[in-house]
Amino acid sequence: MKSSMKRASAQISCGLKIAGRPEHFVDSAPEPETVASAPERIPLLKARLLKSKGDRVRIGTPLYEDKQNTDIVFAAPGAGEIQDIVYGPRRVIREIVIRLDKEQTTEDFTPYPADKLGRLNAGALKEILLKGGVWPLIRDLVYRKVADPGQSPAAIWIAATNQDPFHPPPDTWLQSPEDKRFFQTGIKALEILCSNVFVCCAKDASLGDEQIESRVTHRVSGGYPFDDPAVVHYHAKTRPEDNHAWFAGGQDVRLLGEFLETGRFPVRRTVAVSGKSVHGRYRHTRIGAPLGILADPGESSGCRWIAGGLFRGYSSGPDFHLGLYETAVGIITESAKREMLGFMRPGWNKPTCSRTFLSVFNPRPLPVDADMHGSGRACVNCGNCTRACPVNILPQFTYKCIRAGEIEEALSHGMLDCVECGLCSYVCPSKIELCQTFQETKQAYFRQRI
Amino acid sequence: MGWIEKNLRKIFDAPRKHFESGGRLEKLGPLFEAIEDVFFFPAEATKNRPLVRDSLDLKRFMSSVLVALIPPLLFGIYNTGYHSRLASEMSTAFMPSFTTGLGIVLPIILVSYAVGLFWELLFAAIRKHPISEGFLVTGLLFPLTLPPTIPLWQVAAGITFGVVIGKEVFGGTGRNLFNPALTARAFVFFAYPAQLSGNAVWVAAKEKAAGAVDAVTGPTPLAVTELQAPFNNIQEMLTDQGYTFATLFWGQYPGTIGGTSAFCALLGAGLLILLGIASYRTILAAVAGLLATGFLLNLAASPNTLPWFSVNPFYHLVAGGFAFGAAYMATDPVTAPGTDRAKWIYGFLIGVLTVLIRVVNPAFPEGVMLAILFMNMFAPLLEYTEIRLRVKKRIPHA
Repeated sequence: MKSSMKRASAQISCGLKIAGRPEHFVDSAPEPETVASAPERIPLLKARLLKSKGDRVRIGTPLYEDKQNTDIVFAAPGAGEIQDIVYGPRRVIREIVIRLDKEQTTEDFTPYPADKLGRLNAGALKEILLKGGVWPLIRDLVYRKVADPGQSPAAIWIAATNQDPFHPPPDTWLQSPEDKRFFQTGIKALEILCSNVFVCCAKDASLGDEQIESRVTHRVSGGYPFDDPAVVHYHAKTRPEDNHAWFAGGQDVRLLGEFLETGRFPVRRTVAVSGKSVHGRYRHTRIGAPLGILADPGESSGCRWIAGGLFRGYSSGPDFHLGLYETAVGIITESAKREMLGFMRPGWNKPTCSRTFLSVFNPRPLPVDADMHGSGRACVNCGNCTRACPVNILPQFTYKCIRAGEIEEALSHGMLDCVECGLCSYVCPSKIELCQTFQETKQAYFRQRI
Repeated sequence: MGWIEKNLRKIFDAPRKHFESGGRLEKLGPLFEAIEDVFFFPAEATKNRPLVRDSLDLKRFMSSVLVALIPPLLFGIYNTGYHSRLASEMSTAFMPSFTTGLGIVLPIILVSYAVGLFWELLFAAIRKHPISEGFLVTGLLFPLTLPPTIPLWQVAAGITFGVVIGKEVFGGTGRNLFNPALTARAFVFFAYPAQLSGNAVWVAAKEKAAGAVDAVTGPTPLAVTELQAPFNNIQEMLTDQGYTFATLFWGQYPGTIGGTSAFCALLGAGLLILLGIASYRTILAAVAGLLATGFLLNLAASPNTLPWFSVNPFYHLVAGGFAFGAAYMATDPVTAPGTDRAKWIYGFLIGVLTVLIRVVNPAFPEGVMLAILFMNMFAPLLEYTEIRLRVKKRIPHA
């Protein structure tokens, strides 16, 4: 493993210039009436409920567990009564909604401040994190699911930044000395779990503190998705044993630290709010807050609410709640209207990674919408996906392997290196769902192996 | 604009129900959809991650190629008309030449598009596929590679072969092994040699003036050596026949409709590379292969070898259809390899084969068509080899 790196190499950077970057301004969102936990949004999780509708819970009370490994429990992000359990297709648990009490009570665990932490070994620390319901903040790098506590990773990556448009930069959630202390404690805890803890960070991001800056091992340039821990890991690994690694988001590391220092399940989140007709800014709120309290676009029709970044996020709505990992809310125009002779227009304002529109000369960031901008066609082997891929996969060939049922071949192409950044699907002129296919195939492969 | 849009909208909305599933004209649904999509760009919401998508789609992609084909098309029309009028001893001013050319070229293009569209539609209706925009390119590329005297029924037969055998039997756009336009060209070339080769087919003139007969039936530049050129003297011979380097470059000589002007192909290639539609690798490699082989054959030239051995290699660049083929046919992404290094080899070998066929094989004065088709066949192998090499370099997931 290359233990430090100045930059990750890439064939091309898409140079995405997307309008709507939030103003650098942090405030607090109004207190929500409900919070929820969304098991559906945790990859590969089969949840078993531990509480039912009408039960009363405190912050940190186990709500549900992982069927495959019952040690992994997921804690309630709020204190109150379970108001509703929302199911999706095939009885997948979509949301467990908690109506919040005025008085927020918490489950109490033994605190382990930084000085006491050193006495713990990896096994004891894992148990503490599992019991406290904070273990799910640590994720597996390949499948992006909750890390398996039974394994020991080659490295743990901390993603201080997330350039998927638009996420809060580190200085919005590392403001007070307390934040910084929690973050440092979080790093320290991860160092107990694994000797290789790396912090990756976008080149120009400020961490607000020299002591924390000195913890950064990998500074990467290139924009999204080059600061993604999976991309940095791909470029840093040197042998097959390095493949198995974990990662945690920067805010999640701060939460780990807060849990250990206070002995209470932490619920604070800083969320980027961006998009059309909203005041783009960063807002302090809590885990599982409803999207509606974070942004108010005035009218809700014709808007697509995206929880998470524009590339990795999923469709949501003002009545839905943020998933455990989501720290961004984007609101974009739902879909373009059928534009007359749309494909012949010069396209001064059309965002693209290609050079086929005049917008290549447009220096301004351009507005995006939730439209396919074309209809599905056969692959013409143009190679745009290959040029966009940050981990040197040949997506069009890997995709064809999968469609032909040649999973072994797809694996040898590096399917498990796919970081699911979505750029291949983004650039495809034939509008082929490459990323979706890779993600589903990876997940099917994982299920088959266990 | 608003008024046009509203009324155009009405034109499509009124008959829509007949074309939807269950309607009377359900089978023509793909045609209706294709035409509507041209006038009104489809708007479809994203469902899967990523929820935002690039503005580039296949329609834009393929129409970029059409835009790049405008220079050879316009020049081809003018050139065809010019030589037609020259042969008939009429005025060769620009406008009359252009209109005469239009009268000759337009029917060929229309037949190519109409017959090609018929087959596209038939397969789209049976397969329940949308009509792919790649057809727009094939339907225009094919006529531009034909002599202006070609009978229209042969155009129909050719495009039929190209679309059906060259593309649809493989499963349609994206799955074809050979470039459909070149497959069509190869079919008419071998099926109707009398109309596709020789010296008499390159000028379309209704009534050939008595004195102009020689000019009309003169050999094409690549066939000029049939006149038994003396060794080392081929450039002189070409010049004698009116084919100076400049003429060949600008393209004002009788030949295929769109393939004579290296300059127009250069313009098109430049545009395609700027837009990122065609691979500069394929084009540069083809030029390199052509020049390298030309130089090598120069070294081997002797009084006993065929006359083209000794030509200045740069003549190969501008003579015949090489420039057109390298710019528009070799760069067809479907039939070229999809990996970067394979493209270099693919292009280079196209250049090499073009010269070898031209120079060493006296049966075929022109080689670019066969060279590209031949390399089309090897593209999957080149691609496969590069993928294997790339896969070897990856750190495997044990």
